[in-house]
Amino acid sequence: MISIKNLHASIEGKSILNGINLEVKAGEVHAIMGPNGSGKSTLSSVLAGNEDYEITDGSVDFMGEDLLEFSTEERARMGIFLAFQYPIEIPGVSNMNFLRTAINETREAKGEEPIAAKEFLAKVKEKSALVELDNSLLKRYVNEGFSGGEKKRNEIFQMAMLEPKLAILDETDSGLDIDALKIVSHGVNTLKNKDNATVVITHYQRLLDHIVPDFVHVLYKGKIVKSGTKELALELEEKGYDWIKEEVNA
Amino acid sequence: MSATLTTNKVKEFVSHIANNELDVWHEVKSIRKSGLEALENLDFPTTKNEYWKYSRTNRISKHAYHFNKLSEIKSDLSEVRIDGLDTYEIVMVNGFFNKELSTLPSNDLLEIKCFKDCSTGELIEYFSKNLDTISNIFSALNTAYFTDGIKIEAKGVVDKPVHLIHYSEGEKVISQPRNIFITKKHAQLSIIKSSINKNTTDFFYNSVNEFFIGENSKMNYYVIQNYEPGMNVISTNTATQEKNSNFSAFNYTLKGDWIRNNTNVFVKGENCESNLFGAYQPTGKEHIDNHTIMDHIMPNCESNEHYKGTVGDKATGVFNGKVFVRQDAQKINAFQSNNNILLSDDATMNSKPELEIYADDVKCSHGSTSGQLDEDAVFYLQSRGLSKESATALLIGAFLGEVVEKIEIPELKEAVLEMYGME
Repeated sequence: MISIKNLHASIEGKSILNGINLEVKAGEVHAIMGPNGSGKSTLSSVLAGNEDYEITDGSVDFMGEDLLEFSTEERARMGIFLAFQYPIEIPGVSNMNFLRTAINETREAKGEEPIAAKEFLAKVKEKSALVELDNSLLKRYVNEGFSGGEKKRNEIFQMAMLEPKLAILDETDSGLDIDALKIVSHGVNTLKNKDNATVVITHYQRLLDHIVPDFVHVLYKGKIVKSGTKELALELEEKGYDWIKEEVNA
Repeated sequence: MSATLTTNKVKEFVSHIANNELDVWHEVKSIRKSGLEALENLDFPTTKNEYWKYSRTNRISKHAYHFNKLSEIKSDLSEVRIDGLDTYEIVMVNGFFNKELSTLPSNDLLEIKCFKDCSTGELIEYFSKNLDTISNIFSALNTAYFTDGIKIEAKGVVDKPVHLIHYSEGEKVISQPRNIFITKKHAQLSIIKSSINKNTTDFFYNSVNEFFIGENSKMNYYVIQNYEPGMNVISTNTATQEKNSNFSAFNYTLKGDWIRNNTNVFVKGENCESNLFGAYQPTGKEHIDNHTIMDHIMPNCESNEHYKGTVGDKATGVFNGKVFVRQDAQKINAFQSNNNILLSDDATMNSKPELEIYADDVKCSHGSTSGQLDEDAVFYLQSRGLSKESATALLIGAFLGEVVEKIEIPELKEAVLEMYGME
């Protein structure tokens, strides 16, 4: 589905990604772990098309297309979804208005008719139930005054509404208590199927108890320095990241 | 030497329009005389004048204008009607009242009279009461050469709003409507003002409205400025509030080449509430200037003022809001704020909130912010599939929407939200 080759990216002249190689196939769940400052969030921002970052080398193939040629909104319409680590509050824009606009612009780009009001509402009802998001929150402004957990559930709700091919979850577990973590994970697991893929970016192993990865990668100094199966995550949980750093620096 | 020269400029300006015959000339000769006398001592302002520091009036004063009482108009007015809202429509064409196009009420609670049908005494009672014709040449000009006028008087709770529609058309035409709005004791009235302009070139629209809000009465004045090119607009509104009254002025400027709004409120009674809300979004080379005065003369009153704007391209926005709290005006709560978003590097916003307090037991605040559009929010919306343009429009609508939400007529609120691309 997505093939990242030798990806280099920098911000304000500072190199953050130093040659990422990653291949994700449909139906797979990949976890990317790593210490703070290793480039995890940068990778997700770059894939979503954040123009603050400069791509200095490498390529990204997404379903046969050169992803880096496309704008943020085009990537979203192609099926890339980024669940933000810190979802943005947008006062004055209601969740519903925002989502309807997002769905309809994606449909328009594909030459499809706008979603019917009834269909939209039915979908909202179904998908919000999936992440136990209260209907009163949907009528409110995007993320404004939401608790940390509500914001993360809203991200997964949006993901459910937009039905992406590739979902990138950036530290979705940060700031979540165990109950919220279970709800969010349940949502992600329910949305998983053989035609889509999920990349979970996380600092801690605990999320991976709920969203079980097929592959685990360790990112350090802007490179994937180790790859393995879910057992690697458990090893990291037990031993921390120091042994990886030592291996790399040796 | 220079004084003589500049006075000549006013004389020349006036000479072009003075040759025109105005229908209501004779009835209100003494009123016009006060304007003419004021003009003797006035000159067009330069940007050295603090009140006109950011708005050059040369684009207005350089033309030779004429009045033009059209017999036909190029609109069926449907473009400014509000969906689902029944109103009394008052239509003025190039500043002249058009009775045929208007729908006048036939009840005792609302009296609408053309100046022609008013006695001089009736007019003098309300004319130029809080209007600065001494230093403001445009108010003096309107007083001397107003085209026509309507006196609207609410004597009770009026069942539906008055919709004042100003139609403008022509090249180098001057339109100087003058209106008086009165709410008597315990009355309630809402006024909506809309504008239509067709084929306008160097058109000068210079209106003066005077509002008299009587004891225990309530008046809401909504203005929607959505002009096609070719208009220079100076709109002056002055309101006088008696005790226990409530006055709100709402100003929504969507489009306009060059607009200057003066909105002044004088609170002359206790226990009053006053609200001033405004939104503007100049783009291209548009110039939108809002000047306000909120003058608290008596104690135990409250005022809220909130103006918000986005300025794009090479456009200019101006906000100057003055709040006075006079010596006897204790226990005043007066709030004022002005928030702006600059959408381009070439956009200019001049914001000047001013507060003058002479009383010691008051609660007042004022503030002004000017910033950029939240790039993180734009990226967030884009990452969900919205184009940069719609993301920006949605954020602008959300920003300005805060002052649109203040509209108290649901149908009007919906219509204005739609104008701002909000549902």
